[in-house]
Amino acid sequence: MRQRITFFHHNEDAIEPSSLVVAGRSFSGPDIKAVREDRFTLGLEELPPELKDLLQVTHELHIRWSSPEGYKSLGPWNSRLSPGLHVFYTPQKDETATVIPSMQLCSLLRRLGVIDCSSPNESFTRLPNDRFSHSTAYQYYQPLEHLQPFLDYAAQYACSPSKTECKSILQSLSLAPLFDFSYDTISHVVKITALWKHGLQPLSLSSHPNHRVEVGLLTPYSPPNLEYYELGATGLLTVLGEDKEPAPTLFTFPSRHKQAGTSFVSQFVSPIGMHPTMRVLVKSSKPPVDDSYCSLHAYLTLPRTIFADKYQLEDPLFLASKNLTALRYTSQPVNLEAPDYVMKVWGSSILLELQPLTEENKPFTAEVPLHLRYKAPQYGGEQTFEVPYPAVFWACAAEEGTKFTNSPFDRVNLGFDGLFGPRTVFWHLDPEPSESNGRLMMKGSVPVLDLSRSASISMVTAAVVLAGFAWVVWKLAAVYFKTGHRAPPPSKETEKKTQ
Amino acid sequence: MAKPLAKLFSTPLPLFTAAFLLRAILLIYGLWQDANSPLKYTDIDYLVFTDAARFTFSPTGPASPYARETYRYTPLLAWLLYPTTLPGVFWFSFGKILFAVADLLAGWLIVLVLRRHMGMPMQSALKYASIWLLNPMVATISTRGSSEGLLGVLVMALLYAVLEKRVRTAGVLLGLGVHFKIYPFIYAPAIVWWMDAERMGAEVTRGTPAILRFVTSDRVRLAVYSLATFMGLNVWMYNLYGNEFLQHTFFHHVTRIDHRHNFSPYNVLLYLTSSQPEIATSEFRIESLAFLPQILLSTVLIPLVGGKKDLPATMLTQTFAFVTFNKVCTSQYFLWYMVFLPLYLPNSSPLQKPKLGLSALVLWVATQAAWLQQGYNLEFLGQSTFVPGLLYSSLAFFLVNCWILGLIISDFEKSATL
Repeated sequence: MRQRITFFHHNEDAIEPSSLVVAGRSFSGPDIKAVREDRFTLGLEELPPELKDLLQVTHELHIRWSSPEGYKSLGPWNSRLSPGLHVFYTPQKDETATVIPSMQLCSLLRRLGVIDCSSPNESFTRLPNDRFSHSTAYQYYQPLEHLQPFLDYAAQYACSPSKTECKSILQSLSLAPLFDFSYDTISHVVKITALWKHGLQPLSLSSHPNHRVEVGLLTPYSPPNLEYYELGATGLLTVLGEDKEPAPTLFTFPSRHKQAGTSFVSQFVSPIGMHPTMRVLVKSSKPPVDDSYCSLHAYLTLPRTIFADKYQLEDPLFLASKNLTALRYTSQPVNLEAPDYVMKVWGSSILLELQPLTEENKPFTAEVPLHLRYKAPQYGGEQTFEVPYPAVFWACAAEEGTKFTNSPFDRVNLGFDGLFGPRTVFWHLDPEPSESNGRLMMKGSVPVLDLSRSASISMVTAAVVLAGFAWVVWKLAAVYFKTGHRAPPPSKETEKKTQ
Repeated sequence: MAKPLAKLFSTPLPLFTAAFLLRAILLIYGLWQDANSPLKYTDIDYLVFTDAARFTFSPTGPASPYARETYRYTPLLAWLLYPTTLPGVFWFSFGKILFAVADLLAGWLIVLVLRRHMGMPMQSALKYASIWLLNPMVATISTRGSSEGLLGVLVMALLYAVLEKRVRTAGVLLGLGVHFKIYPFIYAPAIVWWMDAERMGAEVTRGTPAILRFVTSDRVRLAVYSLATFMGLNVWMYNLYGNEFLQHTFFHHVTRIDHRHNFSPYNVLLYLTSSQPEIATSEFRIESLAFLPQILLSTVLIPLVGGKKDLPATMLTQTFAFVTFNKVCTSQYFLWYMVFLPLYLPNSSPLQKPKLGLSALVLWVATQAAWLQQGYNLEFLGQSTFVPGLLYSSLAFFLVNCWILGLIISDFEKSATL
């Protein structure tokens, strides 16, 4: 196992290098105001057997979670996903591509608190494989409040009862607003990443003999020749047990994910009804860079209760009236008719291009018309649901010839990145929690049949239908008994008429 | 006021010109609204049809109309709309023009039936035909691009062919109608019943057993031609489009769970039971019997009592009963029976007793309006109006429909023979 611990802080929060103490396998210093990222790199043999079995038939698996509470990003961790649990998955290539080989994935996800995964075949959506080869084959999403079930599971497997330190590490994970699990057959290792919010972090670290631990204290660095798609960092690196003292470092690298420096709020227009409108309020229409082609996008992750009708989003006039340019992508299939309770697939995702104002620096709102499915009847006559904030970003084309060799901090496979060309830079807008609940989730409720009033439906319907039927039969019988089934003999009156 | 009205109905030309202009104006207005407003005049179904046509005739694509989600019709419809795949607004509107022309044709057939088979002078025939031809609801539905107008002309042509005793034509039209939209199968028993040997002018030998007297050559011919047309089309389409054709054109209508609210009296019940699959085995499900009153009325009892007395009124009643007792009911279905109204109304009690007719109309509209109000509160305000609102308003609408059915049925008694 290898562990990389990175503290990223503002320039003004730097601490004196002389106050850091490196002694053998431990590292300590005064508390630092920073964002902390831990990355664990594990070999397959270090994993629980069930996970190992799964990964052996897996080509690529990314499980990404971010907290509905939100966080402010600082440093190189700029990529944003809708809050909740995202799974991106490609089975081993030699398996038939249409069948996800294993039910183990679902049982793993259940450990994470996913309730809705019956089998990956039914619950996952297929991602397009005709666009860019780097996107995974399947996608899954579920809103997830916290990782506690997973942490309990991990503690059970990884920590022997005596190891309180191990438990406290896992416990600290429960405060991390970002968690990432990544595996691919090319590197053949599992990378687990957790990120803690900007705040006061204690500097007291140590490592075991067979664990390589690297500690970095980094701060932004922007030399004059830094390209807009590059990130620079400078600071101190220490490998515990190897270095006697922190080594100064300075590096720049191209990064696909940057901060746009502006924010957005997302909410439902009231009343929600059965056809809610998601209103996205973007604080500024100004593109992040002037001299390259940029377009503003929203990537919506929609649990199956709610969906967008791609046919409705075809008409340019209609789109323009909502400040939308076009629907660029929608996952397939999206059943436009089925009620929630007969569906197995997790939901759908769409990519919309927004139409910002030409007057830059002014805020603008885009409205996304959505539709709710009928949900199962319930006592009280309504069911609440939550839809995560979308990811909103500017996608800008980088110069011809720019190569994005993987940044050590970038994430690949976020759902939307596979829908863009390889030279696209994403400038992410900060999601600002709504005032109503302070979370990055939009809450709503679907009217459903009130179960407390449902007892008589069968009886009443049957009685009324029977009464109506009886009345019509009675009328038919009355005619039949008077005139039989034959035509009445032509009377004078009718004869007159036919003449 | 009276004079221009009298002129309108004096000869066919002014009325048909008015009907044509009404549709032309609506069509052009629709084009304007579509081009200038985010709220579209064109019906969503029209986009489904035209997308399906584009898929069918696309040189690269899947070449099947069923590549378009929610296309639940015969491929014939997509074929008919081939011109809509050509570039330009005019060609895109071809389908609406076709549906509007179908309206006018149905109107002309109504005039023919009234004139030739109900002995009505031209002026009155035109007056009654105007109930269809100048009906704003009919004109709007066609020019918005809904295909029900095609059904109107098919069904009216079927009736006219039967009354003209053109059995083979009638058989082909019946087969085509059922292939197109299933429901016209209800007309088969009424037509067969009507077509007795006496009426068709065939010789009947005395002493032939009743069962043999029933099987006349005309009835056999009708059965053969309609079945051959229906099955022939199905086999042809199945060969071209396979299971998707069967699934979307026919089976979908049997297996669909129509959770979205509609006028049917069964709607709330179906929503409740579809969400509780565990009840299916343990409890008696009334909606699985729902087809019984519907089929019994529209294919057995009504044709039996009315078929020989007044075929047009019988077909109206059958359709009305079929729609009223159906598990799904939207306002487009009302067009299915409206096309027969001009044939029924002339001697009807609702017209002879205007108070009765007016109360029927008012109740029909009022219960629908009550339902729409509840539907609006559900769809747009998010209120749970399923019970009592939607349930009781749909049941009230159902009862009003049953009452109107009773009125029409009572008129069988005095129907003139045709």
